Amino acid sequence: MKKKKNKKKQIKKKNISIQNFQDTILNLQKYWGNYGCVILQPYDMEVGAGTFHPATTLRSLGTKPWRAAYVQPSRRPSDGRYGNNPNKLQHYYQFQVLIKPSPKEIKKLYLKSLSTIGINYKDHDIRFVEDDWESPTLGAAGLGWEVWCDGMEITQFTYFQQMAGIECKPVSVELTYGLERICMFTQKKNNVFDLLWNDTGVKYKDIFYQSEKEFSAYNFEHANTDFLFKIFEMVEVECKSLLDKKLSLPAYDQCLKASHVFNLLDSRGAIGVAQRTGYISRIRDLVKRAGSVWLTTQT
Amino acid sequence: MSELFLELFSEEMPPGLQKHAREGIQKLFTESFDKLNINFKSNKSYSTPKRLVFFFEEITEKIEKKGITIKGPKVDSPKSALEGFIKSNNLDHTEVFEQSLDKGRFFFAKINPKIILVKKELAKIIPDILNKYSWKKSMRWADHSLIWGRPLKSILALFDNQVIQFSFHHLVSNNLTFSDEIMEEGQKKIKDFRSYLKLLDSKKIILDQNLRKQLIVKQIDKVCKVRKLKKKLNEKLLDEVVDLVEKPNVLLGKFAKPFLNIPKEILITSMQQHQKYFPLFNQEDNLTNFFIIVTNLEDKKGLVKIGNERVISARLSDAKFFWEKNKAQSLVKQVGNLKSINFFSELGTLFHKVQRIKKLGAMIADQLNLNKEKVEISASICKVDLLSDLVGEYPELQGILGSYFAKAQGFDDDISLAIKEHYLPLGLDSKIPKKPISVAVSIVDKIDTLVGFFGIGEKPTSSKDPFSLRRTTFGLLRIIIENNLSIQLKNLINYSNTLYLEQGFKFLKQSDSNAITNFLKDRFKNYLKEKKIRYDIIEAALASHVSDDYVSLYKKCLTLNKYLKEDLGKNILTTYKRASNILDQEKKTINLKITGEPNSSLFNKDEEKLLFDQINEVRKYYSNVIKDENYKKTLEILSSAKKTTDNFFENVVVNDENENVKKNRLELLEMFCNTFDNFIDFSKVEGA
Repeated sequence: MKKKKNKKKQIKKKNISIQNFQDTILNLQKYWGNYGCVILQPYDMEVGAGTFHPATTLRSLGTKPWRAAYVQPSRRPSDGRYGNNPNKLQHYYQFQVLIKPSPKEIKKLYLKSLSTIGINYKDHDIRFVEDDWESPTLGAAGLGWEVWCDGMEITQFTYFQQMAGIECKPVSVELTYGLERICMFTQKKNNVFDLLWNDTGVKYKDIFYQSEKEFSAYNFEHANTDFLFKIFEMVEVECKSLLDKKLSLPAYDQCLKASHVFNLLDSRGAIGVAQRTGYISRIRDLVKRAGSVWLTTQT
Repeated sequence: MSELFLELFSEEMPPGLQKHAREGIQKLFTESFDKLNINFKSNKSYSTPKRLVFFFEEITEKIEKKGITIKGPKVDSPKSALEGFIKSNNLDHTEVFEQSLDKGRFFFAKINPKIILVKKELAKIIPDILNKYSWKKSMRWADHSLIWGRPLKSILALFDNQVIQFSFHHLVSNNLTFSDEIMEEGQKKIKDFRSYLKLLDSKKIILDQNLRKQLIVKQIDKVCKVRKLKKKLNEKLLDEVVDLVEKPNVLLGKFAKPFLNIPKEILITSMQQHQKYFPLFNQEDNLTNFFIIVTNLEDKKGLVKIGNERVISARLSDAKFFWEKNKAQSLVKQVGNLKSINFFSELGTLFHKVQRIKKLGAMIADQLNLNKEKVEISASICKVDLLSDLVGEYPELQGILGSYFAKAQGFDDDISLAIKEHYLPLGLDSKIPKKPISVAVSIVDKIDTLVGFFGIGEKPTSSKDPFSLRRTTFGLLRIIIENNLSIQLKNLINYSNTLYLEQGFKFLKQSDSNAITNFLKDRFKNYLKEKKIRYDIIEAALASHVSDDYVSLYKKCLTLNKYLKEDLGKNILTTYKRASNILDQEKKTINLKITGEPNSSLFNKDEEKLLFDQINEVRKYYSNVIKDENYKKTLEILSSAKKTTDNFFENVVVNDENENVKKNRLELLEMFCNTFDNFIDFSKVEGA
């Protein structure tokens, strides 16, 4: 009798404290939506991080105030592990917040956002550990921290200083929540594939295991590097021609394509150490020009 | 008794910036006070991640300024000059008057004796100092013009319980601090430094970094005592951790024991570098599965401990998985996979490299009389661990992990050690390899790197050394000298060059071994400088250096450096200089070729014959000591020639009327000098 009661209690407790993956997203959206952020949908292209979404890169340029939040599926081909690694994925989700200018009370806002997804800052050791961020591809740099929760990195917290080679004025603040990590923390899972996606028993594995396996094979073994090299060249040409026509957004899309193609080539081991910097600077040059063109349209 | 108390409250300031700002801003304060004759009894600077605090006790309240008359610009100079004069001296227009001097008519101002209130002065000084301080790394935020280490939120500035009123960019000084420092809420009035400390104390915040450190160490000691464990705190990490918390609390964490089976370097790196934990050891100094977490809050519900344990467990599970996998992957079979890792774009892959150093290894094995097979095997597999998942995750453990893999696969200890040690030395003063096989692989790997980069013209310039060739070469010399190795460096360099060409690499100039030799000499010079060898001896050594035997050259320098000030050295030098001075003089006046080969039949004085015999004695000595030269003994032999030489100079006039006799005497002196120069080029050594 007593045993049964205990079990019941446990289940009840579980329901309160464990937040599934989709609710974590929904709660963050609701929280930042209430704050005044535009809740956007993921950008419909392959990108390496939420930062690449034009709602962050381009909108962080210029003086117009901007607040946005969105989930961004992010692809890092070389992080693929065929679904065998409990922590690493070649496709995962980031929740991204971008606010310009950075509000004075941003830390408070952030800490409060954590309590909506099951992390009470009073019970946990939340630490801001120096982590200065740089993206050579985007010509971007920022200062800030990685936020640790009981020793686990759960968020990147960055004040943009430069984007697309352009000094950010005013400065935007970017919060990037690592959703899988956060849920592994709140759901107390050691393997990302065990995460509960919703409350009907669907797990992360049910949705993504096959794609991790197949895309790892594609990223590491089968992506046709000859094609990719050609695509890179074509995209670069297209981008330049769009830039000449002052079409910043379509041109920026080409930058994203180039970046993803580069990442694929990199994971195929097709790019030598010395060539790497060359490719990166080619993309950066395009991004810089796209950023400048975008700025001229923002008056 | 006046006190100055300043709190700069910001978002989390990185430890490195805190320390720099603590010291830098404090220095600006004392400099500024010095200039203004403001005295104080004590001066302190403190920091936590959120606060930078400066506190001066018993500070001067008033400064008395004597009245003076100051001269301004000429009356007919542009108006701006006058305005500048007025502004920079803080004058009023009415205070200015004109007066004539020899050079013309000038503006003057009489400044009356004044009493300046320090508090008022501080309202100018503090923002000046804050503007002047330059951060090691700084940032902007929102739309403010202020540049600071991290966003500055509030400035509390008190002088004797009163606010020092000033504005600093978008901020205005006040007497408030956040009572809820996490949310930056609940601003609370502060009366003075003491009440500020009291407030912090009630929140268990320790302002003083030194106290924080003591407390953390004390708490760790306590845990260790209870658990009978030992700490071996990494000082750098400790200082960092101290500045990452303001409410330090020490927790004892634990991971599952089976993880102890993976190489301890992985465990330690995971704990220290990645998680900022302190590993603990048992009484026998072995790593245990316990570690220290320093947190910034009390772990009331025990969640923090559990959370941290889960994080390290996840990391170690990963590591364990890779360890099991990687150690089973044959090092030998994977050598071919090194083709996938570039050494350098124009110098091929690591596969190319290991092929080369394997052959180069065979050569050095012959030179040093080592087991050739062991050197070759070590050279071929020494880079294979770079292919492993583990080195991917723990790049700082390259070599170390390879060594573990080799051990697990049953390789000889010499080989496994060589894999680990061939990267040494890592820093200028760090360990060098000592075991023969390690030494050999380490040397050939470095020569290969050096020859390769020089071959494609990637030499270091005065400001840039992107491939750390200076460090590599310095390491190479250290290994050779400190292991007392007699190797034929030039042969190795030439062969290395050949190996590159055999692989089809195109080098700029085939005979660039000269450039390498000069580069080596330059590093050798630095090495000697570091060993505090006199500059002229270094010059002498480099001038006389024809072979590439750096070991004996180093020993010669060391010995000479030691005895130069004693009779031993003085005798040699005075004798040598006496001979070489005469030679130099005479060589200028006569047009004869002196080869250093006197004709003994032309000797007409006993002293000539005696000196000739003495020189031959020295030469005989030289020809007998090819190996294991005792350099002190050599110096003694050279020094023992003094008596004969003195006799010669006292009784023989070199400048004989008979030209043939004179020439022969010069030949004798030349022979004498040449013989001495065999040790080192004494002409470069300055008089004792």
